[in-house]
Amino acid sequence: MPRIRVKVDEDLCIGAASCVTIAPDTFQMNAENKAYVLDHGTEPEGSKYERWMEVTDDEMENILLGAQSCPTLAIFIFDEAGTQLFPDM
Amino acid sequence: MHYVIIGGGIAGTTCAEELRKLDSASKITLISEEFHALYSRVLLPHYIKGKIPRERVFLKKESWYAEQQIEWLAGEIIERVDAKNKHIEFVGGGELSYDKLLIASGSEVKLMDQDLPGVSYLRTLDDADQLVELMRALPKDAHACIYGGGFIACEYLNIFHEANIPITLAYRGAHMWSRGISEEAGMLIKNQLVQNGITVIENAKEIECIGEKTIESIFINGQTYPCSLLGVGVGVAPHFSLLQESGIQMHEGILTNAFLETNVKDVYAAGDVAEFFDERFERTFITGNWMNAQMQGRVAARNMTGSHAAFDLVSSYAMNIVGIEIIFIGDTSRTHADETRLIGTVEAGGVTELFVRKNKLVGAILTGRNMDRAILTKLIQEKADLTDSGVVLPM
Repeated sequence: MPRIRVKVDEDLCIGAASCVTIAPDTFQMNAENKAYVLDHGTEPEGSKYERWMEVTDDEMENILLGAQSCPTLAIFIFDEAGTQLFPDM
Repeated sequence: MHYVIIGGGIAGTTCAEELRKLDSASKITLISEEFHALYSRVLLPHYIKGKIPRERVFLKKESWYAEQQIEWLAGEIIERVDAKNKHIEFVGGGELSYDKLLIASGSEVKLMDQDLPGVSYLRTLDDADQLVELMRALPKDAHACIYGGGFIACEYLNIFHEANIPITLAYRGAHMWSRGISEEAGMLIKNQLVQNGITVIENAKEIECIGEKTIESIFINGQTYPCSLLGVGVGVAPHFSLLQESGIQMHEGILTNAFLETNVKDVYAAGDVAEFFDERFERTFITGNWMNAQMQGRVAARNMTGSHAAFDLVSSYAMNIVGIEIIFIGDTSRTHADETRLIGTVEAGGVTELFVRKNKLVGAILTGRNMDRAILTKLIQEKADLTDSGVVLPM
């Protein structure tokens, strides 16, 4: 299974919550109305804006869809080698 | 099969993208009034504030359209839709026939009667470019004014506030969103504005711009206020004048069923222009936000290619107003609610208003109470019965 790093730029996030609608297992809103990152619905080491996770291809596609839905492009996805998968550079 | 999409914004472009995923062979034509490739309107304030460079607002490169084999007609305006003969006519001549048509022509800003250099609107990338230029040219003692009491007024507030420009805000109602939110929420927002040094003028039914070559002041309710730059946000109206005599049913927007189909076969609508039937809330809606437009573009594409999927989304919209957050979730129409309930107080720094119909929570407006968002969204999504003792509302 691919291992990816998912990161929310809290400065860009405006709380539109489209990522939460599409990929609720990976994104939720916190008290500051910013999206934070979960690993399959869990929060090991507490609430974080960035984390590594192992995903299936289907999960990967859905997380990408969530990132693409963000109107401020505040979600970044990297592969294991550190290459930015989204947004396209 | 030839799919034609009117409108190159997020609804139209998402539809084109999804159509191509579902149908690799058919012809897709996307017609856009603007010359720019798809960009995020939501990112425009970030660009104006200098948080991101201009090129970051674009969501698609110009080369993307050809790569996807989507014919992109930029800078074209539609004169008329002839739904009977299944073709559209362009301003300046020319026709294009279609097999299936999506209208995603968006909305237009309402303009003031007067126009003077220094008067700004905030809808398009060109508007944003103009505002950046205007702000660059401001003198040191500049004073900015804002006319309007909705989302665009909030964007201007945040932009001018971050730039440390003194602000006078005038709106037509007794408070911001005067028809939409409770008095208590209005008071909370006003307190926040005043605490941040913003001059607030309520019940400003009319405004006069004064200046010769450029705006110098504004005249409201019998008083003159200095003004080097005026940001206007007095609402939008769906853009559907091209549909006169088309036979397509319109009300406040283009009427569609839950499948985003209009009353005319093979014609669909999505985004800000669509007044769609929402099965969850059992009434028609116009929802002018990004998430709604994007999701509708996707659902429209599925239905245009033969699926039969109802559009179902508990829409929400959040806005930070110089430090206080307001979040609208679901159906927040006072007229359509059987009752409304208020949680929290102005003194405690936050109020949430619940909109209830047939004992079910259908919508909520959270002002300074972000923590209610997840639980209330869930209750609306699950159509929970509030008389059920297991349902616990926030305190």
